[in-house]
Amino acid sequence: MVAMNPARTGPAAEPASHRRALAGLVVVIAYLVLTWFVAQASLSVQSVILVAAVFAVLAISLDLVAGMLGLYSLGQGGFFGIGAYMTTILSSRYGWDVFLLLPAVLAVTGLAGAIVGAMSLRVSGLYFAITTFIVTLVLTVLETNLEITGGLQGLLGPAFPDLPEALAPLGAPVAWCIMLALLFCIGLVWNIRRSALYPVLLSIRDAEPFAEAAGARTALIKVGVFSLSAAMAGGAGWLFSFLGVVSPGQFDWSVSLNVLVMVLVGGINTTLGPIVGAMFVSMFPVLVNINPWLQEILYGALSIAAIALLPEGVIGLGRRLFLGRRGIAAPVAHGDAPPPEAVAAGDPSIEQVDAAKAPAAPRASGEVVLECRGIECGYGLGPKVLKGVDLAVRRGEIHGLIGPNGSGKSTLANVIAGRLGPSAGTVTVRGQRVNGLPPSSRARMGLRRTFQAAELVRELTTTQNVTVGLYDRVPGIVRRAALWPMLPSGRRDGAMMRGRARDALGAVGAAGWTGERVGDVPHGIEQLTQLAAVCIAGPDILILDEPATGLSAREVAHLARILADLRRQGVTMVIIEHQTRFLFPLCDQVTVLNLGEVILTGTADEVRANPTVRQVYLGE
Amino acid sequence: MLQFVASGIAIGCVYGMIGMALAITFYVTRIINFAQGQLMMVTVMVTAEVTGLGYSAWLGVVAGLACSCIIGVLSYLIAVRPILAFNRFGFGWLVSTLGFAVMVENGAAWLWGPTSIPFPTILNNTSVHFGEAAVLTGQQILAIATALIAAVVFEVVRKRTLFGKIGMATAADPEMASAFGVNTTTVAIVAFAASALLAGLAGVMIGPSTFANPYLGDTFGTYGFIAMMIGGGTERPVAALYGGILLGLSAEGANALINSRASDWFPFLVLALILVVSPRGLFSSQSPLMRRRVAAAAR
Repeated sequence: MVAMNPARTGPAAEPASHRRALAGLVVVIAYLVLTWFVAQASLSVQSVILVAAVFAVLAISLDLVAGMLGLYSLGQGGFFGIGAYMTTILSSRYGWDVFLLLPAVLAVTGLAGAIVGAMSLRVSGLYFAITTFIVTLVLTVLETNLEITGGLQGLLGPAFPDLPEALAPLGAPVAWCIMLALLFCIGLVWNIRRSALYPVLLSIRDAEPFAEAAGARTALIKVGVFSLSAAMAGGAGWLFSFLGVVSPGQFDWSVSLNVLVMVLVGGINTTLGPIVGAMFVSMFPVLVNINPWLQEILYGALSIAAIALLPEGVIGLGRRLFLGRRGIAAPVAHGDAPPPEAVAAGDPSIEQVDAAKAPAAPRASGEVVLECRGIECGYGLGPKVLKGVDLAVRRGEIHGLIGPNGSGKSTLANVIAGRLGPSAGTVTVRGQRVNGLPPSSRARMGLRRTFQAAELVRELTTTQNVTVGLYDRVPGIVRRAALWPMLPSGRRDGAMMRGRARDALGAVGAAGWTGERVGDVPHGIEQLTQLAAVCIAGPDILILDEPATGLSAREVAHLARILADLRRQGVTMVIIEHQTRFLFPLCDQVTVLNLGEVILTGTADEVRANPTVRQVYLGE
Repeated sequence: MLQFVASGIAIGCVYGMIGMALAITFYVTRIINFAQGQLMMVTVMVTAEVTGLGYSAWLGVVAGLACSCIIGVLSYLIAVRPILAFNRFGFGWLVSTLGFAVMVENGAAWLWGPTSIPFPTILNNTSVHFGEAAVLTGQQILAIATALIAAVVFEVVRKRTLFGKIGMATAADPEMASAFGVNTTTVAIVAFAASALLAGLAGVMIGPSTFANPYLGDTFGTYGFIAMMIGGGTERPVAALYGGILLGLSAEGANALINSRASDWFPFLVLALILVVSPRGLFSSQSPLMRRRVAAAAR
């Protein structure tokens, strides 16, 4: 994994990128030579390889949604069938040109995928798998019972058109077509995996609130990627129709499940895994030529064994054996280093600020940029968590939000950020009413937030996680994803984003952790990574939910300096925190919540002096 | 008219029993055992084999149920437990339970051959008249009675006994449950044995009319799964029985009212429609049908 990481910026980057381009060229040429051999091979060998290649396309299409978005689609068999039947029926009955049919098939299956995706997204996880499973089931029943699909016997697929005379020495044209299609799909997914969209996709998979808070319209992205995956499966159906008979049994739910077997056995979310898995599953009956029942029993046993013994698939195992697991010993080396001082020393503007005396004169004159009025909110049928909460935050001020556990602080943060809809009351940002706007739209307005329990992608590095924060600051991340590493602008923006992410991590005091996977870092570093991911976007309003949790005393002091510095840059902040010793010196205003109601809003001194606050919160 | 309603309910109860069997294991482990239909088939095959050797049908039934319980527990130990131990939230079980189903099905086909063998008639030859309109065999009535008893027993165990609550706790958070001293493995083994027993009973009910065939599990497993899904059995196992009855009614109704092959596709139309309206099933707490009731109960 590490070896594949794109090069760092700087003088070394150019030769490295040339070397990579050369390596890519060698692989592609080797692939074409292989294709040439396949095209020349005997029919029986060719058909085994081509069927495996079609299934590899199908497996890649599943890996795209299951591996990167965690959507385990069992609808791939169904979309595969739509593609094959559509090609067969329209070409043999109505005489459509097969090459004209390809875009038609892609469009129809893509649209079908978008519709199914939009409908199934009402449910998640297992229910998504089940809903798509049922799509396949219903399609198979239609294929079996409709007149036009030829019932259980099916239809004979179209013949692939011959090449012009001059190209005849190339061999079977259908072999070239299928192998090139597979190469195209491999390349497409490889590109996406190296694009700036990849960390965003994984964060939608593992930490959806984080992706939304970075401005990603997660539902739209999910539907879009699922639609792409369905179109790919439809394209596989188009390819498959040239290989012989098209009948319902080839597209039923067991095919969907077999495609999942391929992905899981090969290794989910890897480039080669789906291909290895597809080869194993589709070539198994050919290679193990014994009593058909015994063969099936062996297949069942092997797939159980593969899942039980190689939970990360064949490729995952290979990666572990050959590359080793990085980053297990590394944190020890970083843990003792005092990152705060190292960073602060390089930046005089930070050093000047003394955390204890941070607040300058309160800027009460600033306009109100964030206002909550009469917020009521509750979970399900239980009692209301917020009862008529009013909160007004002026430009450039740090507004503390304190209160005992269960007083509704995080709920209020979620209402402001848009994760929860209040049952009554309004939230306004810079005078604009934002009720009903999703978190992603509020993030695009410059309202960023962190989470009490860090929401991050554990298998990515801290740097990659921080780049997610730039999602709406770099244009065309989605548009360019399919070609990202091949585009000069993609490589440039990628390097720029990683560079800025490392700088942001350095600025919050996590400079020593830029290459570590989030799963390997301590809790405090996760908090700092979250903070870097919001700071990198140059936010206007920040909501920080217990940012000091898990930090050492030294890191807390550094955090206070960072926050004071952000305020001097004009960032408005709402900070939820229990450590009043850290919070109060920073705050212009403090609001105290208790049992969902505002007890008091005032300066830190007023709050400290208030007898009610002392009683309910400070415990005196 | 009444005839298709009566026979629809009878076959629906068989689907519902398999649906409930799926729901019981889902209830405890949050996985769907794709080998459930095959567990039903094991009972049917063993019962037919033992009876064919000249023993009494009841001995055959007991032997068949015992075998499917054993294989059900094996399916947990081999295809579920090791996979959940690695990742409780992954989807590896989809592959491994299906692999187990493939093994059991082809093992049976290898042992007994792919053709059907006779099954004891049990109560299939007695018939009960309901007025002029409907006739049910004793076997069909037995199926309805068994399904109802199973549903009642299951609900009582789930709601009124400590074991049922332990099952619920195990489903929600196995680690927390074991921290309270629950042996989650034992709970799961009991659940898998109970679900195999229920699937086996469904097999005994349907065996006299289908005969014993190694590929029986495919069809009935799929129908049981549909019963669970349209009912909403993933939340409440009893809802799978309602779903099964709805499925049976729509299949028999389609045959009687549309044409003799309509049962091949009509139930799937119903299924698709129901899941568009209520993705978690018709009798789940989130269905438009039930939402009002839940809100009323909370008030």
